[in-house]
Amino acid sequence: MALEIRDIYKHFGPVRANDGISFTVQEGSLHGILGENGAGKSTLMKILSGFYGADSGAVILNGEVLELGSPADAIDAGIGMLHQDPLVFLPLTVLDNFALGSPGPIPLDRSEILEELNRVSSGLGFEFDPSRLAGSLTIGERQQLAITRLMWLGAKVLIFDEPTTGISATQRLQLFATLRKLAENGLIVLFVSHKLEEVEDLCDSVTIIRQGRVVFEAEMPVPPETLVEKMFGKVFVEQGHDAVPLGDALLRLSGTVLTEGTTHIKDLNMDVAAGEVIGLAGLEGSGQRALLRACSGLLEPKAGVLSIDGKDMSKASYRDHLAAGVHYLPAGRLEEGLVHGISITEHFVLTSEDKSFFIDWKAAEKEAESEIGDYSIKGDPGSHAEGLSGGNQQRLLLAMIPDAVKLLLLEHPTRGLDVESAAYVWTRLLDRRLEGTSIVFASADLDELLRYSDRIVVFFGGEVFAVRNASDIDGEELGYLIGGKQRV
Amino acid sequence: MNLSRTAMATVVAFIAALGVGILLLLAVGAPPFETLGLLVEGSLGSASKISITLLAWSPLVLAAAGLVVTFAAGLWNIGVEGQIIMGAIAATWVARTIEGPGWVVIPLTIVAGVVGGVVWALLVGVLKTRGHVHEIFGGLGLDFVAAGLATYLVIGPWSRTGVASTSGTDIFPEEAWMPTIDALGVEWPVIPVLLGITSVVLVWLLLKGTLFGLRLKAVGNNAYSSYLMGIPTDRYILGAFAIGGGLAGIAGTVQVTAFHHKLVPAVSGGYGFLAILVVLLAGFSAVAIAPIALFFVAISVGSTQIDLRLGLDSAFGGVLQGIIVLFVLFAGGWAAKHPNSSLTPQEEP
Amino acid sequence: MTRGRRSIRLLVLIAVLAIVAAACSSSSDDTTTTTTAGDGEAAVTTSPAQEVDFTFGMILVGPENDRGWSQAHFEAGKYVEANIPGATMISLDTVNSADRPETSVEQVVDDMIEQGAQMIFATSDDMRDGIEAAAAAHPDVPMIWSSGDSAWSEGEAYRADLSNLGNIMGRMYFGKEIAGCAAALTSETGKISYLGPLINDETRRLASSVYLGAQKCWADAGNDPAELSFEVNWIGFWFNIPGVTLDPTEVTNAFFDGGADVVVSGIDTTEALIVAGQRADAGESVWAIPYDFAGACSEAPDSCLGVPYFNWGPSYLDVVTSAIAGSVSADFQWIGPDWSDINDIDSSMIGWITGDALADDASAALDEFVSGLADGSINLFTGPLNYQDGSPFLGDGEAGTDLQLWYMKQLLEGMEGASSS
Repeated sequence: MALEIRDIYKHFGPVRANDGISFTVQEGSLHGILGENGAGKSTLMKILSGFYGADSGAVILNGEVLELGSPADAIDAGIGMLHQDPLVFLPLTVLDNFALGSPGPIPLDRSEILEELNRVSSGLGFEFDPSRLAGSLTIGERQQLAITRLMWLGAKVLIFDEPTTGISATQRLQLFATLRKLAENGLIVLFVSHKLEEVEDLCDSVTIIRQGRVVFEAEMPVPPETLVEKMFGKVFVEQGHDAVPLGDALLRLSGTVLTEGTTHIKDLNMDVAAGEVIGLAGLEGSGQRALLRACSGLLEPKAGVLSIDGKDMSKASYRDHLAAGVHYLPAGRLEEGLVHGISITEHFVLTSEDKSFFIDWKAAEKEAESEIGDYSIKGDPGSHAEGLSGGNQQRLLLAMIPDAVKLLLLEHPTRGLDVESAAYVWTRLLDRRLEGTSIVFASADLDELLRYSDRIVVFFGGEVFAVRNASDIDGEELGYLIGGKQRV
Repeated sequence: MNLSRTAMATVVAFIAALGVGILLLLAVGAPPFETLGLLVEGSLGSASKISITLLAWSPLVLAAAGLVVTFAAGLWNIGVEGQIIMGAIAATWVARTIEGPGWVVIPLTIVAGVVGGVVWALLVGVLKTRGHVHEIFGGLGLDFVAAGLATYLVIGPWSRTGVASTSGTDIFPEEAWMPTIDALGVEWPVIPVLLGITSVVLVWLLLKGTLFGLRLKAVGNNAYSSYLMGIPTDRYILGAFAIGGGLAGIAGTVQVTAFHHKLVPAVSGGYGFLAILVVLLAGFSAVAIAPIALFFVAISVGSTQIDLRLGLDSAFGGVLQGIIVLFVLFAGGWAAKHPNSSLTPQEEP
Repeated sequence: MTRGRRSIRLLVLIAVLAIVAAACSSSSDDTTTTTTAGDGEAAVTTSPAQEVDFTFGMILVGPENDRGWSQAHFEAGKYVEANIPGATMISLDTVNSADRPETSVEQVVDDMIEQGAQMIFATSDDMRDGIEAAAAAHPDVPMIWSSGDSAWSEGEAYRADLSNLGNIMGRMYFGKEIAGCAAALTSETGKISYLGPLINDETRRLASSVYLGAQKCWADAGNDPAELSFEVNWIGFWFNIPGVTLDPTEVTNAFFDGGADVVVSGIDTTEALIVAGQRADAGESVWAIPYDFAGACSEAPDSCLGVPYFNWGPSYLDVVTSAIAGSVSADFQWIGPDWSDINDIDSSMIGWITGDALADDASAALDEFVSGLADGSINLFTGPLNYQDGSPFLGDGEAGTDLQLWYMKQLLEGMEGASSS
């Protein structure tokens, strides 16, 4: 038995998420899938598990081409997926959760299901109290429950998408033991991760995806520097800006504790000087977003100091932050930045300083036209936000940043922009430093981090893993740090 | 462009709905064209019919104009029925309590209607913004409360002298009747019609030409983005409820001071729910609600004739309205699902 | 976001479907409202010999097939058509502000007259304002407002100016007295309850009649009068409106739970009988008496002691006949049963059908009671009777006048329950 992925293409508008992916995994193998954020691995896994249909290409299991129209099709074909957040119905008992989606058209009676649960779980070495509510299980136990159910449903291929997020070290060891056992029993296990160490520990073979294509395939072990290089590509960057004289500390974090979803950040300590540019590196969900949201007033710190311009802002609202000159530009352009169904002109009216009751549409349109020219947005004043391409949406968002801002918080500021536009945008952003504006930005682009930051803060697993002067490190070292490894 | 596609789909849906209506009539053995002719004749065939239709049109269009505002803010103001009823109750209180000439009492009944509707709508709004109760559930609950209160008042404290009954309170003194203008031998409901037209124009202006309207639209389309832009979203949600409730309250005033001339238990006449369908059919456009409301009311008023003359159950009018709404919504959904792919680049998150 | 919008769309669809379904269900009844007399139906000989051409309008508050109040009127109209060759009824049902918000009674009258109606029946208490305005607007067209009091010169709401508007009502208090008697003859616990609609003069009168009938027959059967209890609870409307009225099913259950074994219904629908039937099936000894419609017992025949009902046909035939002759006068008519046979459809305004559940001996006692009512030896509205608060209603030996009966301001002493809302 082997799982063959042949020439999978999947485009979302202009974004080529999967651009002809092909590789094969043999029976009984624990196979790692590596790639930075946005490389296309999640899309591929969703195609395998039936959530998306591929534009073209085939998934072949045991010589048979699979029709994956829905998750149910995938499970019928023997492909089961374990999500980061295991799909477990929290208000139901373990037994009910297990019974949901029992195979075959005829529902079994409860005693039969209970027998099945005990049989399958003991085979895997798990123990459950069938009458416990799923809500009282730890995430690790929920994973075990989900694995048990997928095995009962006859899974031959199991996909684990970042399974170690939010579970304890002991549970991780237990999970790894389970994965090895599943592979020994002849299953195909796909392990999707961005954590180099875990892949090194666990996997027999690895496929690395970058920009929607397979760039590397090998049997493990492979030297970590090779993995880093293949994941991020060669990065040679020179500092892209002149240093400006830094002012006093504008943003100060001391002993700050943040909790959001499964992300916990303990004991943050950081000063950002006026005019300084801080790059936040790390894989998504490592804590950068929580930090940006806390600094913008959207996430209240659990403890510690968060002060801006010498004023304690840890309890202040988002609107207070706005008034204090903080501007936050999140990553979700249409979700948390722009408004669909509303034109470019209207966006500028909404964010304009002019608050008069009646709108002067002529003047507003003129203003919009000049901004469109300035930021080379491809669109008319009347174009709706959702009609713009991703890059143009980002330009619009950047153009909407007010003039007088003290602290600029940006998430992936140039994602989706071509090189020239990105350079132009950064020129505009860096000019703001002269007025003492500080910039804190999160990015997955090592080039961007190295080129524009004064200092780079690397997050790993909810902690500040390293802080480096951008001029002191190169792309390779940054890649190591993001993967959670200090270069020896 | 997309717009004309939707318009085309709507026209096709209208024609298809009429076709199904004709088939239905043939199925029950009724003469289809005579029936449709009677619908028109019964609603627009004479001066007196037109004035009846216009009197029913006014509260419907007032409620619909208010709903355009709440829909713009992304709110499902199902509580509109209760807001009409509370407006009617407040106006009734004025009509029963305040004595004076018409030019004093009539404006006061309108103000009272606004207050009644606004208070009831703000309750829904506060439940939503403070209590996180979805406006559909809050609104439905308050609809029941308002309907119960109207019934209680009619058969209880405000019951008429003599044999108390559900027929309503005592008829208002004539000073509290909305004046009509006599022409062509018919009393024309000029004030309700003017109120209806004014509400459409003001709502159109509000949404097209003001920062308030634009912010409302932003909050409705994406509350989170709007919040990040610094728009106090809760305040705009409450504002939308207040405007919607105020206009519904005026509709309630019209019902009691221009039509019933008393408070009856079913004073809203279901115009709130009908107005929701009107606004859906109008694609949330303020301008389009006026003709569509007229069309709906004409079917309702005219259907009495098909009952009287043809012995056909007048529920046919309601069936026809329902078929049209279903078809047009279906067509709208279809047009949205099959856009010219080159026109709208779509990006998955 | 997408999911949210999708679920909202679903909601709209459900709403729209519900509207269509509601509209369909009432249209599928497939009833024709305009019927012509003479096709196949033999005319009864009491009708005028020569064929006339006469059209009358019948305005109904509820559906014409509601198995209750409105159907009784509709059938009376058909009875008139059957008995006067050439008479034609135009009818419009569900004329009320909830079902036809854009239609007023005046407009309906205008339309009917435009279509040739020469006489109009408005058959609900609710239509007072509309029919009075219409009568003023069409002084040449005779009109009847059933259940009203506008033509009663001694009444509280007399409209002397409307010489073309008459009133017809039945003396249902007789029917209710019979119901009360049947309840008392059957009750084992001595606890009888009355499921009332809303509170007004008419409903107070009818509830009190049940009480008087029960009191009389309870004592005549040799029971201790002190052991009879009579509780009234009002749901707030003629029928159940969820969230607005009390739920009649719950109220009835509460009555039975509280020890009552007979519930007499004064509302338009049959919840009381249905509940009694269910509880009887579960082995309880409970009974109910519905109202309005001769066929109402069929909902649960084994628990039904009988039903008092209206029969409007004969009185409507009379008034149409005199309208054809041009001699109609705007009278207030309060018509009792034809005591020679209260179930004679050609003569009796008020009827009583004994139900299967009434025991034979009780049935015999009930017949005796009815004959007492018929020969005048029993007149329950005879003093001394006090109102609920102890103030005198009728003095010792005083027989109640029509005015006193029509405008009852309170329930009677001895009844439990609210006299006003």
